[in-house]
Amino acid sequence: MKKYLALLLALIMVVALCACGVSTEQAAAPAASSSSDSSSSSSDSSAAPEAAGKGIRLFNGKIEIATPLEEAAKAYEAATGKKVEVESLGGGVDLQATLKQYYQAGNMPEIFVFEGKPDLANWKGMVVDMSDQDWAKDTEAGFVDEDGALVGFPYTTEAIGLAYNADILEKAGVDPAGITGPESMKAAFEKIDSMKDELGITAVIGYCANATELYWSTGQHLFGNYLDAGLARDDTKYIDLLLDGGKLDLDRFTPFADMVALFNAYSDPALLVSGNYDMQVSGFAGGKYAFVTQGSWIGSSLTNDYKDLYAAAGNFKCGYVPYAFIEGIDTILTNAPSHWAVYKDGNVAEAEAFLNWLAGPDGQKIMVEQAGCVSPFKSCTAVANDPFAGPIADYTARGKTSSWHWMDQPSNLAQDYTGAIFQDFAKGDIDAQGFIDDMVQTIPQCING
Amino acid sequence: MNEDTNGRKILSLVLLILGLVLLAAALWMDITKTYLVVDIGTKVALRGLFLVLGALLILAGLYFIPTVMHHRTIINIIFLFPLLFTFAVTVIVPMFVGVFYSFTDWNGVSYTRMVGFQNYAAMFKEAAFIWSLLITCLFVIINMLLVNLVAFLLALLCTTKLKGVGFFRAAYFLPNLIGGIVLGYIWQFIFSNVLTKILNSPHSALASTGTAFIAIIVVYVWQYAGYIMLIYINGLATVPKDVLEAAQIDGANDMTTLFKIKIPMIAATFTICTFLTLTSAFKQFDVNLALTNGVGTVRNFMGQRLSNGTQMIALNIYNTAFARDQYGYAQAKAILFFIILACVSLIQVRISNKREVEM
Repeated sequence: MKKYLALLLALIMVVALCACGVSTEQAAAPAASSSSDSSSSSSDSSAAPEAAGKGIRLFNGKIEIATPLEEAAKAYEAATGKKVEVESLGGGVDLQATLKQYYQAGNMPEIFVFEGKPDLANWKGMVVDMSDQDWAKDTEAGFVDEDGALVGFPYTTEAIGLAYNADILEKAGVDPAGITGPESMKAAFEKIDSMKDELGITAVIGYCANATELYWSTGQHLFGNYLDAGLARDDTKYIDLLLDGGKLDLDRFTPFADMVALFNAYSDPALLVSGNYDMQVSGFAGGKYAFVTQGSWIGSSLTNDYKDLYAAAGNFKCGYVPYAFIEGIDTILTNAPSHWAVYKDGNVAEAEAFLNWLAGPDGQKIMVEQAGCVSPFKSCTAVANDPFAGPIADYTARGKTSSWHWMDQPSNLAQDYTGAIFQDFAKGDIDAQGFIDDMVQTIPQCING
Repeated sequence: MNEDTNGRKILSLVLLILGLVLLAAALWMDITKTYLVVDIGTKVALRGLFLVLGALLILAGLYFIPTVMHHRTIINIIFLFPLLFTFAVTVIVPMFVGVFYSFTDWNGVSYTRMVGFQNYAAMFKEAAFIWSLLITCLFVIINMLLVNLVAFLLALLCTTKLKGVGFFRAAYFLPNLIGGIVLGYIWQFIFSNVLTKILNSPHSALASTGTAFIAIIVVYVWQYAGYIMLIYINGLATVPKDVLEAAQIDGANDMTTLFKIKIPMIAATFTICTFLTLTSAFKQFDVNLALTNGVGTVRNFMGQRLSNGTQMIALNIYNTAFARDQYGYAQAKAILFFIILACVSLIQVRISNKREVEM
């Protein structure tokens, strides 16, 4: 009798387990089954388990534009009936690590974000060449890989230059157009510094070299000016030199170091080493600094996060002067900060259709007007409500932009190596010569190691 | 009887073979990515069904094996199976996969070749890693002493007949309830914005390697002492009252009572606490990440200039994997880390066992 009871229990267990197994399988099953014409017999569908009606997923790495992107997805669904799911991560999350987890779990999104060559190297052979797409003819900001395939969709343009508060400069009688080299920059800094109380500012420049929090600002963006400022967009001389065993051109790097020394001398001491990004940006928004060493992405912070401070400071106009550490450098750096790639085993056709829509007038209207992106597409006519949009458009129209190549640096160069040297320099542990020596000694360790 | 055994033998064989066939079929479907689907009202993918059914048939087959001698063992195994399976899937298998990856150039997505012991050889030539290893050891030793000392003193304080002892206990324990990352940011603010104003120093303590290292120790002790204190309080509560009273009558003062009675009587607690602080200090990660992210200049170490002056070994491994994309290399480091931790723990357990026998 007991035996039968045991058997019965076992049977119940079998049934229960089977039920569980079936229900979990079902989530995966429709994708596979719908490709066969729902006949009762089994069918052999090969590798691609995706199908129409499932929609696509977009893995966005810029959390600032999460809401507008979702708006765009909704508008797209309304227009075409196709679903786009936007997944936004950012603010310290390691995007590529998250993507790798997705990949391991077989859960890759159709469209995902990557920054430069080092990121892309992980996905070699897994992304789609989009050079046949309509949007490709409309922009030069797409990401082209080593083999000449267009694999990156540019969704915005950002700029790196020495941002200034036009009101303060005007009050101080400094003409930003007159800053064309190290002497004129120094003269402008000295003049503003002597009028600090009059202008009601804390320091001439908001420069922060905190290596824990802002290594990316110093080691990537500021250092990126050594690599690219003043060069033609396709000129890769200094990044090539850097990647070739970590070499620096001292004729160019020495004046760069002098410029950093100037920033150190005229920055707010409370911000310089122990500050953070919020202090820096809110300080600039509140009119405490005449200059700030941050790029165009702070524009949306001025108009959103710090709008009260910004309004109190008079909603001042902003602009860019080039980081003119050598007389005659007259360009700011503009580039797409990261690109979107399409995963080749995903729902490629729908992903490409969505990107084409996004690059078109309807998509760009949302991206520019709501997300505050500066459109990389020539045909775009929408204008962003961003204090930096005007200056960037102006530089672009005059052809005074350089590309940026700091994204081709090994991904840990700034975080593990150069950021700390900027901090030591700011602290006064080393002088300009020590800064140069340390850079020359340290960068090869990263490149070769 | 004999017929019954024969029947069972056949039944068991059939079940086992059927189960194996089903499992093999499921495996084959998984590898070749063939998705067989049947429609019974709702659509059902066969792979999962085969897998579950196969496993159950094998279990049933094992159950019906006609043996008296091993019957009990088989039953035990069947009942333990869910647990063993879970343990294998979550611990054993990943561990072997991890060891395997440490011999490859895995970048988190794919690997192109086996590199043998190259990863293991490389880490002993990497000055930054050796530095991390050394400061982690230093950190562990300092913390083991400091945390235990502070925690024990706090425990003594909290077992006296002071007013508001309950409040103090809660207050000391509170930091342990805050997550390490949050705690790191709180203290970062204190070091960068508050202490600089109070001490009127131009730079935060976190900006220099030496002071930043001390800062991490301070925060860690602050976080962990309250927790260890609770264990000491528990230990002190187990000291029998009559022994203490006897000592008092014999004229022992507080110091003598402490050193001759209380401390010897809670020796086992000391062992537990040392062990806890030792292993947790080794694995220090979150406070390190939030407070300095490992930044710190070392002017000359093994002929190199290092920028990771305050980077503990766990953070070093993390950065190797996620910032440098060298997952295979990071995995090799992690295995060395595991071996070190395992050795330390084994020694610790050995010692503590010995002492318990003596008591």
